Amino acid sequence: MKDFAYTRARSVAEAVSSQGKFVSGGTDLLNLMKDGVESHDLIVDINGLPLRGIAVSGPVLSIGALARMSDVASHPLVRQSFPVLSEALLDSASPQIRNMAAVGGNLLQRTRCGYFRDIASPCNKRVPGSGCPALDGENRGHAIFGGGDQCIAVHPSDLAVSLLALDASVRTSKRVVRLDDFYLTDPVRETVLEPGELITAIEVPVGRFTSRYLKLRDRATFEFAVVSVAAALDLRGRRVCDARLTFGGVAPRPWRSTAAEDALRGKDLSAATIAAAASAAVRGAVPRQHNGFKVELVQRAIKALLTDLGSVR
Amino acid sequence: MKQIAGLPIDRIDGRAKVTGAAKYTADTDIPGVLHGVLVLSTIARGKITSIDTGRAKSAPGVVDVFTHLNTPRLTLLPFFPYTRGFIPMQDEIINHDGQPVAIVVAQTLEQAQYASTLVDVRYSQEVPKAVLGQVAGTEYVPDPALGEPNEFTRGDVTSAAADVKIDANYSSPTHHHNPIETSASLAVWQDGKLTAYETAQGIQFSRGVLAYSLGVQPTDVRVRTAYLGGGFGSKSVVLPHTLLTAAIARVLGQPLKVVLTRAAMYTSTGHRSEFRQRVALGATKDGKLTSLIQTTTQQASRTDEVTYNPTRSARMLYAVPNLQVRQQVAALDRPGAGFTRSPETAAHFGLETAMDELAYAVGVDPLELRLRNYAEVDPETRQPFTSRYLRDCYRMAANAFGWSRRSMKPGSTRDGQEFIGWGMATEAHSSLAFPSSALVQMNVDGTVLAQSSTQEIGTGTLTVMTQAVAEIMGTTVDAVTFQLGDSDLPAASWSAASATVKSVVAALDKAGKAVRDNVIKLAVADARSPLSGLAVDQVEAEHGHLFATGDRSRRDSYLDVMSRHGNVVATTAQTPSTPGYTTGAVFVEVRIDPRSGRVRVTRAVGAYDPGRVMNRKTARSQVIGGITWGIGFALMEQTVVDQRTARIVNPNLSGYLIPVNADVPDIQALFVDKPDPGSPALGARGFGEVPITGVPAAIGNAVFHATGRRIRDLPITQDKLL
Repeated sequence: MKDFAYTRARSVAEAVSSQGKFVSGGTDLLNLMKDGVESHDLIVDINGLPLRGIAVSGPVLSIGALARMSDVASHPLVRQSFPVLSEALLDSASPQIRNMAAVGGNLLQRTRCGYFRDIASPCNKRVPGSGCPALDGENRGHAIFGGGDQCIAVHPSDLAVSLLALDASVRTSKRVVRLDDFYLTDPVRETVLEPGELITAIEVPVGRFTSRYLKLRDRATFEFAVVSVAAALDLRGRRVCDARLTFGGVAPRPWRSTAAEDALRGKDLSAATIAAAASAAVRGAVPRQHNGFKVELVQRAIKALLTDLGSVR
Repeated sequence: MKQIAGLPIDRIDGRAKVTGAAKYTADTDIPGVLHGVLVLSTIARGKITSIDTGRAKSAPGVVDVFTHLNTPRLTLLPFFPYTRGFIPMQDEIINHDGQPVAIVVAQTLEQAQYASTLVDVRYSQEVPKAVLGQVAGTEYVPDPALGEPNEFTRGDVTSAAADVKIDANYSSPTHHHNPIETSASLAVWQDGKLTAYETAQGIQFSRGVLAYSLGVQPTDVRVRTAYLGGGFGSKSVVLPHTLLTAAIARVLGQPLKVVLTRAAMYTSTGHRSEFRQRVALGATKDGKLTSLIQTTTQQASRTDEVTYNPTRSARMLYAVPNLQVRQQVAALDRPGAGFTRSPETAAHFGLETAMDELAYAVGVDPLELRLRNYAEVDPETRQPFTSRYLRDCYRMAANAFGWSRRSMKPGSTRDGQEFIGWGMATEAHSSLAFPSSALVQMNVDGTVLAQSSTQEIGTGTLTVMTQAVAEIMGTTVDAVTFQLGDSDLPAASWSAASATVKSVVAALDKAGKAVRDNVIKLAVADARSPLSGLAVDQVEAEHGHLFATGDRSRRDSYLDVMSRHGNVVATTAQTPSTPGYTTGAVFVEVRIDPRSGRVRVTRAVGAYDPGRVMNRKTARSQVIGGITWGIGFALMEQTVVDQRTARIVNPNLSGYLIPVNADVPDIQALFVDKPDPGSPALGARGFGEVPITGVPAAIGNAVFHATGRRIRDLPITQDKLL
């Protein structure tokens, strides 16, 4: 690893003006630096900033960017009112990593694509213009939505998928951005954050949503999603008044299907409407050589999740 | 004689290991040690056209940079299996991805790591062959290695009558060992003599290979391995970095340490080959096997042409009159495959899956089918086994599992959404002893020192040997000190092929009994001893005391006899190689959510006939380890290779999945625990590798029972069951 300078920020303003790379838990950043995938001259430790609180104020649950994944997952407010959030966090990583990793950093973790993490390999995300071996290579884990001919790596955060289902926003050092608008599908520019802009909090609107997360993966725990689904439904009896359906493991960003939501909204939650939502969700999917099964698996995940959530028989 | 072997005593080194006091090879600190970091090739086939070390050499702390241009020339031991098939950094040729092309030596590890990124290597590249699918048609049968035939025929498969035939193809991917401890070498030269601190499963082999390659006498090389953080075959052969580290340390005149990164472990240590096989069974309508054909293909490389005895299961498991086994290889531009324990598992998967398919074809319970084909005598030699309790294993495991309640029909057992399946397989592995020697010495204070240059590979060798010596000598475990891991100790063989217990305990038994008898001779010849005048065989030893047989009031102690004698009593003994075969049976339950296709193993019961069990706790741990690895083999493990570059896409533990605790169910380990009179090691047979061998097939068979879907291509990931 290349030598770098290290400093601790004493305030958000100091962090923002530092022009360094922010580190909180470091659970992803340190690996990226050791593997040579990222290289930074200055690391700014933001762990001393007062950004750890978890509280409801008015219509919003505010989660400080430096709150640890485990703290958020076990917080009574989160468990009671936002189960999808707690479930997504507990389905992430390992207890050790959840104790270290901050939620702000979680949203910015980099893709697990093996070609991205191998610096001897071409990668348009790491070296723009160098090519994407995943397009015609080992792409079982890659995107079926939102990719292009430049990059089909998937975003790895479960937390982001659950927050997108809850219509959460990111508060930064200069603005508030809805998660819908926060992530991009560009291989290089993954979010709208500008240089020096620091995530200070995540804000989740308090609603009357029933929510749940389903993560499918190749082993029981400590593994990224092959496919995941988060659902937040406003159910009145069987009637779906509103719905948000989001997906992980299938796109370069946390993915949302408004078509699937439209197929549910205003309808009774039944096997038929669930099936309609599932097929709407995968319309326009672009599978590759090894990941075609995700088209089927996403639909099955939607069906399993909504059937359980709505106690549909 | 008081039985001490077999007791489930805690590991003697357990506290040192869990507190971090145990020093592994990479922990070894030598004043003035330099650190070396490997630069690995990024292409799989071609040549180095230029290598610029200028920037690396001028980086802070760098002592020197070695490439094929300035690395000392080493001599390749011309025969397998002691090294890889070539030594890198001797010329410009690249044989595989991840081949060492330079070693950067610096004052600190961090300096060497950084400078290693500054070495600029240019290549001329050829298109590599990465997977077996690309070289179909180039298979050939290599010359036999390791004394095992690659082609074997019994009877005549072509004319064997069969009412029922099974003929199917099976496949499994490349696997890596992933020991917790990555390989490491620390070379210290003094006065022309080398001490190598190694991660070695066979320190005597390492010693011999180092001496040969470096052109020094074996007596000038000492190899030490205090502890090993797992080997699983990855540390059996002497790896190139070991030879290079020693050669460069000699040139530099300073100690040098090289620790492989996790990624380097995926290209440096060998691996379990990608595996393709055809199994064809012929049987009578009641399931009696008439013929068995197994044709396997594994990967060779341009420099390594080795097969790993997958014919043994076909030859040994069942009484089959007509048999044809052929093991082929096809060369890829990949690192050569290597020992990956148990190497018999991949072939066993095809065979034991085919047996399940046959059971369904003839409509006979899979366990009953195996009993109908039970080998009462060694199918190879037609000679009786010295002991064989496989039938007991089937019965014990089936009873504990509740197999008799199984309904034969696939898909017939459900719990809510989940499908439940039960599957079983026979397990087996060779039980060899390699020539080994050991010293046993009784000290003047009555304590016992035992030595053998075997190694503690994490399985409990230190503990089991200590127990064995205590039993042999008739003393307490506390009174015994067993030393290993130093090639200056009496020569022992590899910790490989599950042979350690049988090899080393045999030598300890021979030496120990001689010492015990010599001490008893001292007692009975000594007028001051209450045992004076007795014959040697009228005296028994127990708990460090000596008793007259039949009159325990007449007693002496090792302490008293030895203090009167005033000198140590010691013997070194050597024992030869012996053959053998260990069997068992494994039964598993899987649950499958049909909505996601995901398979969970929810129960596993194994029963084994390892002769006499040497330590119930460590033996059970080996069952847990073997079954867990078998779960990985069946459901998730695979090294993913890019077919265009022959480069591994997942060379790390975040991309290469192994089971985590949540994937591992309750595992029940049962033992027949009857001594094998054919074993010179207190009746114990080799055991460690047995418990993995049948697990992939048992799980696949359970998946079939749950769903009616026969998955012949591992791993059984959820996409295959949608």
